[in-house]
Amino acid sequence: MSLIVDTASWLLILAGGFFCIAGAFGILRFPDLYTRMHAAGVLDPFGVSLILAGLMLQAGLTLVTVKLAILILFLGLTSPVACHALGRAARHRRLKPLLAAKEDR
Amino acid sequence: MIDALIYGALILLLIATAIGMARTRSLFAVVALGGIYSFLMALALLVLDAVDVSMTEASVGAGISTVLLLGTLYLTRLHETLPIRLSPAPLAMSVITGLALLYGVVHLPPFGDPSTPMHRHVAPRYLEDVVRETGVPNAVTAVLASYRGYDTLGETTVIFTAGIGVLLLLRRRRRQPSDGKDKAGR
Amino acid sequence: MMHREAIPRVVVKLLIPFLLLYALYVQFHGELGPGGGFQAGVIVATAVILYGLIFGLAEAKRIVPPRLIEVLVPLGVVIYAGVGFAGLLAGGNYLDYFVLDPDPVHGQERGIFWVEVGVLVTVSSTMTAIYYAFSGRGR
Repeated sequence: MSLIVDTASWLLILAGGFFCIAGAFGILRFPDLYTRMHAAGVLDPFGVSLILAGLMLQAGLTLVTVKLAILILFLGLTSPVACHALGRAARHRRLKPLLAAKEDR
Repeated sequence: MIDALIYGALILLLIATAIGMARTRSLFAVVALGGIYSFLMALALLVLDAVDVSMTEASVGAGISTVLLLGTLYLTRLHETLPIRLSPAPLAMSVITGLALLYGVVHLPPFGDPSTPMHRHVAPRYLEDVVRETGVPNAVTAVLASYRGYDTLGETTVIFTAGIGVLLLLRRRRRQPSDGKDKAGR
Repeated sequence: MMHREAIPRVVVKLLIPFLLLYALYVQFHGELGPGGGFQAGVIVATAVILYGLIFGLAEAKRIVPPRLIEVLVPLGVVIYAGVGFAGLLAGGNYLDYFVLDPDPVHGQERGIFWVEVGVLVTVSSTMTAIYYAFSGRGR
């Protein structure tokens, strides 16, 4: 039983690490602000939440698990809103996406 | 071995961030790199087992300081102006001070060694008697608030002085048309 | 600009009570784990600044008026120094906590509690005052 829990937590942590590295790579290599924000928006909720979920499995059924679950909830609530606010601010300053159509303001 | 890797990686990232902050000319990038530097410093303090200081550094340095610096940027320009004349004296001063500090660090006792004079004077008494004398399990809070309470009074007074300094200098008072000779001349 | 957008408004309205609750948690659990007055004061200031960023500076000044901030900035230092004077009045030296209660350990806890409250009040109101001063002078 504990072997299954260990393997599952390792898989979750590795998957979270993969998403974090992919997000960081995307922030460096994408050509435009909006696409870079898409990469950052993947990194914060997915990458960190998967790592935290793997840690939850490691901690068992204690108070630490409840605190980590609340952390995942808050992270999933705040970081997409931050990316959204950033995108709105960029749009307000008339920053055009790279592949914008001709009549897009 | 893993510890040495983590320490080495953190130090390299700190150096890279500091060099980036010194070389870039856009002030917005400098503020963002300052936030990153504070966050890396909080990580380094966490790895060295100083949890209270790490939490304070993360909340003050990477949180409030970045927001307030961005607020300052809103009032000034976004690019640093280049100096008219490049003088070598500041660079020489920084290099000499850095080398002197490195020389001093090499001769310090190993980190966490319990037989240094620093760890034999009052520190064992604080650590052993803290629950018996103050009833507070967190030794850092007990030392900050009770054993060294005068220092924390001084810190609070320093923050208070910063606050009233900002209020005196930067608060805009609406100019009354009838009073000509205001005390502050505004 | 941000006060017309729906998504930040709703989420920030959901989050600010939890921010303030977390600040109180950090303040009162400073004795059992990492925490204390400085971190809690900064988190309270963060909640006020977040409200000011999303809903506009005028709204934030309506909820936390600058007059209140001017009163709170010295009040924290007065509380701290007052605990010292309470130690004097109760028979010990300045900033002695063990005379504040018949049981000296309980007196220490009481002194530490009030001292941390003083630090919380000064730090949070100073950060909020700096934010008001900077963003009130817009271009």
